[in-house]
Amino acid sequence: MAKLLISITNAKNDTDRATVGCVVANASVASGVDTVVFLSTEGVRLSQEGYADDIHEEGFAPLKKLLTDFVDAGGAIWVCSPCFKKRGLDENKLVLGATIVGGAKAVEFLSTGGSCMTY
Amino acid sequence: MGEIQGHLGSDVFYDFEEMSCGDLLIALLKAMRPLPAGTLVEVRALDPGAPIDIPAWCRMVGHALLVRAGGPQNTHYLIRKGG
Repeated sequence: MAKLLISITNAKNDTDRATVGCVVANASVASGVDTVVFLSTEGVRLSQEGYADDIHEEGFAPLKKLLTDFVDAGGAIWVCSPCFKKRGLDENKLVLGATIVGGAKAVEFLSTGGSCMTY
Repeated sequence: MGEIQGHLGSDVFYDFEEMSCGDLLIALLKAMRPLPAGTLVEVRALDPGAPIDIPAWCRMVGHALLVRAGGPQNTHYLIRKGG
């Protein structure tokens, strides 16, 4: 099966990029591709329950719905551990489907046939 | 204006209106997932990207796109669900 990692490095600092990254991730997972959303740098804030509730770019579904649909369709959300810790975020408030990982997990995914798009 | 309906002889009809990109594909996935293989599904999609995306999606997930009918940005698709 094809593998695609969608790297999202933005949150409320650039809701357009964060939203489009999630939309493309949904296109990928809905197409039967093994798909991971990798949240790093500011993007890790999207992993927190409640954070994305008020992110709704015009012309797109609300970001919370995009992430919920993504996980429901079989997608995985990986959260960069050092980025998460640097920002003092709460492991007990991860959204459904999110897992805190180190860089090795992303490197393994990409070096075994995965491709990457970055937002 | 009358209610939008399918006219390609399908078993079920879905109108996805202006949905696009990932939103459209997730909606297609959710609509077709519970249906048995072989079901004829008619879809109406108005987004200008849909004429490219829907055939590509059908190829990737193993559905057969049987018919594409209608005008630009208002196309109906008849899809047979794969196994």
